[in-house]
Amino acid sequence: MTRVSLGDASLTNMLSRQSAALRTAVQQAANEVATGRRTDLAQSLRGDVSPLLAVDASLKRLEAYKATAGDAAFQTAAQQAALTGLSGLAEGITTTLLGSRDFPTPVQVDAVAADARGRLASAFGLLNSQASGRAVFSGQATDTVPLGSSDDLLAALETAATGATTAGQVAAAVINWFASPAGYETFYQGGAALNPAPIAPGEEAELATTALDPAIRDTLASFAMAALLDRGMLVGNAEERSILAQRAGQGLLTSEDRRITLSARIGTVEAQIESARTRNGAEETALGILRSETGSVDPYDAGTRLETARSQLEALYLVTARVSRLSLVEFLR
Amino acid sequence: MSITSALSSALTGLSVTSRQAEILSSNVANATTPGYARRELGLRSAVLAGSGQGVAITGVTRSLDRALLAERRLAQAGDGDRSLRGAFLDRVEKKLGSPDEPGSLATRLAVFDQSLIEARGRPESQARLQTVLSAARSLADGFNTVTDDIQAARGTADRQIAEQVGRLNSTLSRLQGLNAELRSFSGAGRDVSALLDERQRLVDSISAIIPVREVPREHDQIALFTVGGASLLEGTAAVFGFTAVNTITAETTQALGGLSGITINGAPYATAGPTSPILGGSLGGLFAVRDELAVQAQDKLDAVARDLVERFSAAGLDPTLAPGAPGLFTDAGGAFVALDEIGLAGRLSANPAADPAQGGALFRLRDGLGAATEGPPGNGTLLAALQSALTEANPLSSTSFTAGIRSFQGLAADLHSDASAQRLSAQADQSFAAARLTALTDLEAQNGIDTDQEMQALLVIEKNYAANAKVIQSVQDMIDILIRLGA
Repeated sequence: MTRVSLGDASLTNMLSRQSAALRTAVQQAANEVATGRRTDLAQSLRGDVSPLLAVDASLKRLEAYKATAGDAAFQTAAQQAALTGLSGLAEGITTTLLGSRDFPTPVQVDAVAADARGRLASAFGLLNSQASGRAVFSGQATDTVPLGSSDDLLAALETAATGATTAGQVAAAVINWFASPAGYETFYQGGAALNPAPIAPGEEAELATTALDPAIRDTLASFAMAALLDRGMLVGNAEERSILAQRAGQGLLTSEDRRITLSARIGTVEAQIESARTRNGAEETALGILRSETGSVDPYDAGTRLETARSQLEALYLVTARVSRLSLVEFLR
Repeated sequence: MSITSALSSALTGLSVTSRQAEILSSNVANATTPGYARRELGLRSAVLAGSGQGVAITGVTRSLDRALLAERRLAQAGDGDRSLRGAFLDRVEKKLGSPDEPGSLATRLAVFDQSLIEARGRPESQARLQTVLSAARSLADGFNTVTDDIQAARGTADRQIAEQVGRLNSTLSRLQGLNAELRSFSGAGRDVSALLDERQRLVDSISAIIPVREVPREHDQIALFTVGGASLLEGTAAVFGFTAVNTITAETTQALGGLSGITINGAPYATAGPTSPILGGSLGGLFAVRDELAVQAQDKLDAVARDLVERFSAAGLDPTLAPGAPGLFTDAGGAFVALDEIGLAGRLSANPAADPAQGGALFRLRDGLGAATEGPPGNGTLLAALQSALTEANPLSSTSFTAGIRSFQGLAADLHSDASAQRLSAQADQSFAAARLTALTDLEAQNGIDTDQEMQALLVIEKNYAANAKVIQSVQDMIDILIRLGA
């Protein structure tokens, strides 16, 4: 006799398998809705995770550039502020010094010399300024201020100008001292120029300005010439004193161009840093969008899948309940 | 004498129907028993002295589709094999970490890269140098933990092999015993279905470990051969030999004699390749995990670790280092030698010269690992060089990946992608094997006990029993009539 039969276990197996599959789908969709992350990221990328990793690495790097560009901006801003202060100090005295030969009394030269000495000390203060614990004009020796005390500088200059009797000799001695490696360059306590700072992928900002820059050197030399008068240089020779004061005024006037150029150079770096920060921000946003496109779940899609799986599972429960009652035993009572 | 023979025919009918009820009850009781094959009573008409004398039982038959059973066993073995491989590759991928997880190797690397850039921006900052050191240590840790996990998986596989070999040996000897019992019982003409069920279950359990072919022999005996051709049971049972190892490191391999292979009756057999007779089931899967997949995964990890070490110990990168001295990443504190590539990922560590906790100093990250005294704090030259060493494209010195020029990030991405791709393809294999097994199990289940059908048969048995009883009653009435005639 040919039997047509279907084992009981067949139906049970099928129902339990389908309910397991549906419950897995519900769980997966629920998890994706709740976390916004794909349950199997590698599968959605077909095994090649390198694009996603590249995006993630770039995002991390941009975070780092945000910090380094901020540091560089702080450094240049501090330098710019010091330079502006230096120019202000120079401007306030240049005219007076230039007119010193027309002063009616030598006492006025003494007064302007005292002023110049004060300004030299202020200039030292500006150049020794620190930004977040970093001496901004010291180059790599960020832990030491670039310049010692202004009195030490003047004392060294006095030694260099020993025996000078005319304003021309004193001025030459001062200029020589500032230009010679044994003079100002030894007095300078900082280190070599800073390395360029990274501010954006593949882009670096030049932070090489130190207190050795010619613009700063010339300004200090001119202040020092006038300040030396206050320490009794060429004392008793009113004519030569006023000539030296005038030379100092001329020096300040000519160094103004250099100060402006230096300021402009730092300004260019500041602009470069700012534009790099803007670009970094834009790139971060763009990468963030790309990241969520590749790595995140569309909540609408996940929600729809959850709803579909849920209704399917409910239907399966209904079918299981109905089918399980279909047994001949029930009807043979 | 025909009335008496009618009586005896009806009696045979009664006894056959009660026997049928017995078989049926056994079928219903075992409706969900695994390995139970449906029994049927074979009937024929009894003939005595040339005339019909009721019904006789020819025997109990187990209805079994042998071809389907053999197919299902193969599918079960294949499923076991694929699941083990898939599970291992999944484990490696999980341990490397999903790219969006904080602890993944790629994330650790990205954090290290980030810390180098930040330190370059402010080389004088102790905090940033400390971050570089922590990130370097965390990267080395990442390699260490993945290595430990891969080797732990090998150790687990080794113990599981030992356990499965033990199960094989005990099951085979029980099968040998069953064969002997069946020989004596079937000679005595008794119902041996229960023993056959038991034997089928035992062969099933062997077949999950090593796929086998069952060859029927006379007197209800069977012989077992692996699909690969080794004889497991032919009168006497084969004995498998295997020794588990206590600790497994990356350097331990079967080829070097550190790990046990398999022997059958004392003779060694290959555990991989076309000549191996034991492949296709969970045993083959475990050997594949222990000797192939884990070793390959470790090789790739070592290749990446080696690239990292070599990038930071390249000549000229750090002028304070003597030639051949270890760079920022070391082989257990010492310099790396090309011959020691195996297991490097497990020994990778950050250079102690830069670690204040190990007697080093942080400034060496900035001034050079061989620097004796601290240099100018704003010097970012070396940090810039370190960062570009990490990002620049270099040719790969190891042979575990396809040759090519990559940045270190590119190589790490390749490692992740490779693990993911392997896991996905193993998963595809696995779901194919699982689907095949499901389909065959369903077919087997369809041939199983159908209670509805048994109930229908029960109705027939009831009716037949009543009919036979009625015949006996009628015969008795007829005999009574005869007796009354005589009175």
